[in-house]
Amino acid sequence: MNNYSHFQVKDWLDDLAFQRWVYHGEQDGFWKEFVRNNPGQLANIEQAREILLAVRGELDALPEPEVKLRVSEILNAIPDDKLRALPWWRSNWLKMAAMLLLALGIVTALFREKESLQNLQTFVAGLRDGDKPDELEVYNETHAIQLVNLPDGSSVILKKHARISYPAAFLADRREVTLRGEAFFEVVKNPEQPFFVYAGSMVTKVKGTSFSIKANDDDEDVELVVKTGVVEVSALENEGKSKSGAGKKLILKPNEQVTFNRKSLNMIAKTVQKPVLLNLPAESQNFEFRRTPLAEVFAALEQTYGIDIQFDAKTIAYCTLTAKLGDEPVYEKLDLICAVVNARYEMRVGPAAGDSAPGESAPGTVVAVTSEGCE
Amino acid sequence: MKNSERSSETYLITRWQQFCAGDKSAFGELTELNYAALYHYGTRFTPDRDLIKDCLQDLFLEIWEKRETLSYIAAIKPYLFQSLRNNLIRRIRRQSVFSDIRDDDVEDDISPESDWIIQETDQLTSHRLKQAIDALPKRQKEALYLKYYENLSYEEIATVMGLQRQAVANYLQYGIQKLREYWQHAAIFMVLCSEIAWY
Repeated sequence: MNNYSHFQVKDWLDDLAFQRWVYHGEQDGFWKEFVRNNPGQLANIEQAREILLAVRGELDALPEPEVKLRVSEILNAIPDDKLRALPWWRSNWLKMAAMLLLALGIVTALFREKESLQNLQTFVAGLRDGDKPDELEVYNETHAIQLVNLPDGSSVILKKHARISYPAAFLADRREVTLRGEAFFEVVKNPEQPFFVYAGSMVTKVKGTSFSIKANDDDEDVELVVKTGVVEVSALENEGKSKSGAGKKLILKPNEQVTFNRKSLNMIAKTVQKPVLLNLPAESQNFEFRRTPLAEVFAALEQTYGIDIQFDAKTIAYCTLTAKLGDEPVYEKLDLICAVVNARYEMRVGPAAGDSAPGESAPGTVVAVTSEGCE
Repeated sequence: MKNSERSSETYLITRWQQFCAGDKSAFGELTELNYAALYHYGTRFTPDRDLIKDCLQDLFLEIWEKRETLSYIAAIKPYLFQSLRNNLIRRIRRQSVFSDIRDDDVEDDISPESDWIIQETDQLTSHRLKQAIDALPKRQKEALYLKYYENLSYEEIATVMGLQRQAVANYLQYGIQKLREYWQHAAIFMVLCSEIAWY
């Protein structure tokens, strides 16, 4: 992507990918190949590499087991009364027994008033919710689109009145989110940790793709269309096992759309011209840039993700981008762009400090880009 | 690799917020993720490895104590680096009444992954560069380290080192200039050597 052939020593020093290679041996194959094919750059590369290594100095790395040991020492040094060993008569099981008794009391009390069985159910449901690890929910109350960054770096673009819930940290073997409403997903590729979307009674399983889902509570059908990658759709297991649609799986490829009936669990697939379901820019956007001024690139990203990118127009006036970006989540796109134009970014949620009336604007995502500019 | 780095940016912020809310596992993870880098940074200041580990333990216990007041911090790494730096410098000053602080002898350290470039002459340039970087003023050295090895921005380096941004920019510029001059001398020296050997 970079025009490495004109690089000077200083450029090499500042190149992030090059730094990572020198320091951490990343993409070793690529760089060795590059050096072999670009003998003209050998002297510069050699010099830059030597300087970087001299800057780091002696590598006195701690072995991982020692780090773990030190961390556990620190954790043990934290006073924590919950974890301190208690004599058996004060330990947890007594408390649990007491709690059980109390719960039993509540249950009997509720049963006496027969009409409050309903209450009992909500009460129990409430308890179960409390057990789960931190579950986060984002509801887009605005009329604009709203970007949600999931803990794994995947992007979700919510349309108005869409709602997504997800855990603060995904489980090790799966990533699970629940959607109501309409949204476009760009999922970070990770085959080890499949990504599940629960929408209505439809389950969508992917490993790393982009697709749109339309799951409005009032509609009979849930719809999905694939932009890139492969998507697996099935009915939620525990509902309607006797029904005909249950247990069936459908594999969808790009430009394939499925209509899933909430009641019958029937799935109908068809091929579409364009993977557009929600009329979002992200669905049809192909980020192909050719010597495009950086400000325009940012404008395209802003429009696609409904985010606010802040940058100093003067410093980046001479920066252009030539690149083809695909279905990467917004983080990956920003990383790629910033690596090419030698910039950095920070992302935060919430209106920029002081530039909007309080209570007026919704919590949008703000990306602040700092660059040293391009010559 | 890219993947983990990217998600770590958001992920870390989420974890930091959880830690501020009292989540001990988030705290443990953040400690583990930053420990090695902080330790290595510490070795720039003192050869006393135990002192660094002591300081790190104090640092992390301290931030656990005041976790509730730390949720405003968005740039986690600079914050930790700055804290360690302050702690270490304070401790070293206190200690240095009794002991003299000197840099460890610097050994050669060519990373094993990059074998293609290794030639006999390399040892010579490396050695020369070591001398060059050792000859740089401490703060220039530190700014270079934070910029290139830790990839901090000018602003972040300024925060960590307690300097103005412009001062950081100057340090970096002079530092790089000096290193390149040394490198060029070394290169010329090498050429001379090979010429002499030729005859």
